[in-house]
Amino acid sequence: MQNDNIEDSDTIREDSNGSRIDEIIKRESDIIQLIRQGDDLMTLNEGELNNDITPDSKFLNHISPLGSPLRHGGNGTVNDMDLLRDKFDDVIRQFHNEEIKQSGTESKIQEEHMMDADEDLDDKFVLDDHLGKSKKFYEDLGSKNVKEMIPPENFSHVVGEIYRSSFPRIENFDFLVKRLQLKSILVLIPEEYPVENLEFMKQSGIKLFQVGMSGNKEPFVNIPSDLLTKALEIVLDPKNQPILIHCNRGKHRTGCLIGCIRKLQNWSLTMIFDEYRRFAFPKARALDQQFIEMYDDTEITNIAKENSWLPLQW
Amino acid sequence: MASKYIPPLNFSPVISTEVSLYRSGYPMPINYSFIQDQLHLKTVVYVGDKSDISEEYSNFLQSQDIQFLYIPMDSCRDSGINKGIDTVLQTVLDVDNYPMLIHSNKGKHRVGIIVGIIRKILQGWSIASIYQEYGLFSGGLKDEADLEFITMFVSHLEVFKDKMPEFVRIQ
Repeated sequence: MQNDNIEDSDTIREDSNGSRIDEIIKRESDIIQLIRQGDDLMTLNEGELNNDITPDSKFLNHISPLGSPLRHGGNGTVNDMDLLRDKFDDVIRQFHNEEIKQSGTESKIQEEHMMDADEDLDDKFVLDDHLGKSKKFYEDLGSKNVKEMIPPENFSHVVGEIYRSSFPRIENFDFLVKRLQLKSILVLIPEEYPVENLEFMKQSGIKLFQVGMSGNKEPFVNIPSDLLTKALEIVLDPKNQPILIHCNRGKHRTGCLIGCIRKLQNWSLTMIFDEYRRFAFPKARALDQQFIEMYDDTEITNIAKENSWLPLQW
Repeated sequence: MASKYIPPLNFSPVISTEVSLYRSGYPMPINYSFIQDQLHLKTVVYVGDKSDISEEYSNFLQSQDIQFLYIPMDSCRDSGINKGIDTVLQTVLDVDNYPMLIHSNKGKHRVGIIVGIIRKILQGWSIASIYQEYGLFSGGLKDEADLEFITMFVSHLEVFKDKMPEFVRIQ
């Protein structure tokens, strides 16, 4: 890392979409460098490199085109090629693990690999995934002292007592109750809400609103405007606030709704889209942005004015 | 219909409880009407490398009665950076300074560090959540040095308890 000058590093990051490629190239060179270091190491103390490498992760396979990663043991003969391959796998795994640590979810990586195959995967709420993650949380709970606050992924303040996030899980409940002191949650998925979330909300006296929409799927499916108006009516009503808006990943549907709130705040479209893309990154959809642009806010503006909800208070 | 409001780059609320704290990039004249009409700021904190403040900006701040605090900061590798951050925290820990905007140039890295530290030591957020938020504003890319800095940061600052905003949870 040699960005003594943050400005410069900013400019490189700036042309963001293109820089994914740059990032990959950079990673590749990092990997090669690490392997070289590994090479040096190998000549120094070859014996110690025989740490067992378990090819546990699914995503390892695609970078092991020579077949399954090799393991040493038993016969004691190890050739350099094998060592190199293992070292490579190891380094790759380090990279991926680091990503897991940073993003907090394993599924993200899998999704990113499938991204080209199915763009709209994010829209689908998969109950099993949700339950699986809760189970894991319970398992971890025994081993460590969870005192810290864990907001849901993609969490942010929107305006006043309106918040946005991805699908909240059990580890986030404390944050939602103790810090946000939520009065209601608005969910934008059509699927049934998980029981553990309902249970939690009942205990904490949080009201659930569901406006099920299936997200803009390019190019055929569009969010109906009247559904969005209905959702906005719930969100803007102060008697429902503090309110959390979420869909599955907190990127697309939630992004559309927030974009429409920004319209009511009279923001310029450029800055509305800038915010949309920040949260949807790296999966921003043109249709979502088009939806925000085309959304006719006459009806909701009238409703909001009648109830004197506007201008929204920060 | 009034003309459109244009918030500064990477603008976002950070805290909106009984006090309001915002983050953004450097406010330009095009953003002034938004700040003036919407945010009603009392304090602006600038963490960055531009020590000269433009006449336009300084006039604007003056006309709005906004107190301006400049903390020179190039990156988290600056020597004496902790002292600067302590000053920011001291300002954040005084309810009398709100509503407050903390900005850098683009509202990505330097502000990201400050917000990360607020999340960590004042609000007790988990490190994973802090990294995620940092990544949101830096464009999905993470500067490991910044993240490490946030993780390792400790402060021995002493402040008055009765001036502390409600959102602060210091053990």
